[in-house]
Amino acid sequence: MAQAQSASWRRVAGDPALLGTIAAIWILLLLFVLFPLAHLLERTFVDENGLTLAPLLESVRDPGHQAAFVNSLILATAVGVWGTALGFLFALTAVRGGLGRHWLTVLDAAALLPLVSPPFTTSISIIFSFGPKGFITHDLLGLANASVYGFWSTCFAETLTYFPIAYLTLRPILAAIDPNLEEMALSLGGSRWRIFRTVTVPLAVPGFANAFLLLFAASLADFATPLILAGNAFPVLPTQAYLQITGLFDFKGGAVLSLILLLPAAAVFVAQRYWVGRRTYVTVTGKVGQRSRNRTMAPGVAALLCAACFAVAALIAYFYALLLIASLVVAFGANNSFTLHHYEVIFTEGLPAIRDTLVIAAIGMPLGGLYGVLVGYLIARRRFPGRRAMEIVAMINYALPGTIVGIAYLIAFNDPPLALTGGALIIVACYVFRYSPTGIRATVALLEQIDRSLEEASASLGAGTRETFRRVTLPLIAPAFFAGLGVVFIRSMTAISATIFLVSISWMLITVRILENMTEMALGPAAAFSVFVIVVVFAVVAGLSAVLARLRAPTGGTAARSFLGG
Amino acid sequence: MTPVSIKLDRVSKHFDHTVKGQVYAVRDVSLEVADGELLTLLGPSGCGKSTTLRMIAGFEEPDEGTILIGGKDVTHVMPNKRGIGFVFQNYALFPHLSVFENVAYALQVQGRDAASIARSVSEVLELVGLARYERQQPHQLSGGEQQRVALARAVVFEPKVLLFDEPLSNLDAKRRVEMRDEIRSLQKRIGISTVYVTHDQEEAMAISDRIAVMDQGVVVQEGDAESLYYRPATEFVARFIGRANILDGKVISATEVEIEGLRLRVATRRAPGEVVRLVIRPEMIELSSEPGPGRIEERTFLGEKTDYRVKLGAETLQITATDHYRRTPFDVGQPVSLHFHAGAIHVIDGH
Repeated sequence: MAQAQSASWRRVAGDPALLGTIAAIWILLLLFVLFPLAHLLERTFVDENGLTLAPLLESVRDPGHQAAFVNSLILATAVGVWGTALGFLFALTAVRGGLGRHWLTVLDAAALLPLVSPPFTTSISIIFSFGPKGFITHDLLGLANASVYGFWSTCFAETLTYFPIAYLTLRPILAAIDPNLEEMALSLGGSRWRIFRTVTVPLAVPGFANAFLLLFAASLADFATPLILAGNAFPVLPTQAYLQITGLFDFKGGAVLSLILLLPAAAVFVAQRYWVGRRTYVTVTGKVGQRSRNRTMAPGVAALLCAACFAVAALIAYFYALLLIASLVVAFGANNSFTLHHYEVIFTEGLPAIRDTLVIAAIGMPLGGLYGVLVGYLIARRRFPGRRAMEIVAMINYALPGTIVGIAYLIAFNDPPLALTGGALIIVACYVFRYSPTGIRATVALLEQIDRSLEEASASLGAGTRETFRRVTLPLIAPAFFAGLGVVFIRSMTAISATIFLVSISWMLITVRILENMTEMALGPAAAFSVFVIVVVFAVVAGLSAVLARLRAPTGGTAARSFLGG
Repeated sequence: MTPVSIKLDRVSKHFDHTVKGQVYAVRDVSLEVADGELLTLLGPSGCGKSTTLRMIAGFEEPDEGTILIGGKDVTHVMPNKRGIGFVFQNYALFPHLSVFENVAYALQVQGRDAASIARSVSEVLELVGLARYERQQPHQLSGGEQQRVALARAVVFEPKVLLFDEPLSNLDAKRRVEMRDEIRSLQKRIGISTVYVTHDQEEAMAISDRIAVMDQGVVVQEGDAESLYYRPATEFVARFIGRANILDGKVISATEVEIEGLRLRVATRRAPGEVVRLVIRPEMIELSSEPGPGRIEERTFLGEKTDYRVKLGAETLQITATDHYRRTPFDVGQPVSLHFHAGAIHVIDGH
């Protein structure tokens, strides 16, 4: 063991490029992952008298905080259940519904739209539809003073926003179930419903569990939706922590609250990684099997499923249409005459936010893409001491709810020696270390499919580590690199939960401006900002997809899925 | 290019096994490949032959011992500084590069100019019978063609030594024989020192100047095909190379050993009365129809030969008749006589 260790040390030491890269990445991880987290823990558990649990206990005893904790869990559970069900409906229809290619595209688009939108879009549309002056509640139903705020609308908005995660998780699993299994069961005389219950669903169980946990975590960490829709009657942890800091300037209280959020988040992460992650009955490969029309679904049932899916797709389309219309009229619901005024506003007084956001996204995108590919490559391909630790540390900011990361950054970088708050660097760093892990995972997954002998072949032909990486590894993992770019860009345009703590007068973000507009009830500019973000994100994703399609990638896989990550 | 020698001096490699503790993949292996020679490492899977090859290439680092290429110690030299051409079992062609780009790779890394690269690549592609394949993508080629590209890529930059890791195991039987003859003739033409790894004894015998048989991380015996076949040092070698009857015999005198009541002429240094292990190849025993101590138990007609299973006292022998077309076959149950040719019997631990 000791000898193997020393051999691996020697290998690393004999390769300056490798040694330098590892050292640089560790420095970055220490600075932007471990250091802020340590500060957060210190702020929570240390006071003048040393270690203490008092602030935590005090916070836990607070009935308001207890309510927020319980509310968060209830909301996350509901979103997990409903989102998984909706995702399963979409996945089943896509795999078994016998839809043509174009209809599948429509289905995919409807499912992906919410994932690449800024966080408030569904919330804005729900207010437009069901608010006091809502299109449905007020104009169609004639209700006065309808209340839209609370658990149900929050749950509804989050389910619509996050169910695509379940769809993306379940679809490959359903697609990979060998139709022979079901056909065999059919030949044994089982009814279709019985086969569905006893063969199809049990095979997909690990997928269900995984989808539920992912949705649970997403809802738990969601900050934007409850901030707009939950209202005072239904406080949840992320918004409480935010209000503690921005409203009361109570950094310690915010830190403590965000750490309470860590508990269920960590439980979900562990469950997902060690319990569900290792149980799959079907292997998902890059190979796309033939989508033969499967006779295990009755035509009537298939039609019903398709109808249900397209109803949901229509609802999503309606919400986005509403958003577009709202951005083009004077005051939605009150004065519906056409105007471009809201766009004028966002491109004049909103221009700094747009410029800052684009600058930050443009800086973060290549850095995040490169960082993801480098770390993924090191983890998957090089043997060096501390490799496992690097893998885990690199994932931390990704796994933590954004509120925790934001508050940790705020606390850690507020004072010298690293007073970075207020600048662009801290926002870029936050995005890179929070969203590049998708690129890391994509790189690792891709490298696991690329035989190591390719790199050995390159070495035997005279290429050093760096040259091999550039000539062989990099072209082969280019799809993961572009996926990493895409994710960092999309999130730089749409994320708010962490960076809302990090914006300043000199560096503003579009998402934060949308939030400000919402609180000032300036819904028109908010809608215009949202439309702008969606258009930009779609343009960039389309551009990256075109680049990806031109690459001679050795393995398949859809670009859109890799952009969105897990 | 003048060929260089390869020398392994007491090379060991071990790893940690969760159950068995420290396990040697390769233990105290010392080998020498002379200038322009082709040495084959032969053995069952897990015997350490690939690990040995990969240590010569530099993909693995030995825990102990030294490796010299052309007299220079390369034990801790990175693989890209060793000047080795490596041919992989799975070809390892770069999937994103064309045939030309694959073959040109090493030359481009060296920074050669485009014209000389183009010349070298087309020359070497001609050499492996793939002229005009430059623009093809690897996935458009058959397995045999891919292996030729891999071969071209490994020799184009005039490496000091050539290493093969089971290069033919992904090909069908007919291609395998074709390719192995091509590899051998190419290797001879270039005159490059080569180490070749295989688990196929026939391939090893066909292609090698010399064979090192490995088992459990150790070189059991080294020699040319004939010496390994006729004079195996251990029972393992006897069984691994060709088929063998391995019997216990009792030494009667310096020139005689007794098996199941038969007295056979064998030269041995063992003392009379000692029991020794004997190797007798199936085709070295002749059967005759005059009734004797043997009895036919089974007959298998295989076209070019006929295999018999013959009971001799407590022992069962495999006997191959290659002159079967000249005589009527023996019937199952028939009593037969056995004739052992002088020099056909080899005493394993008798030297």
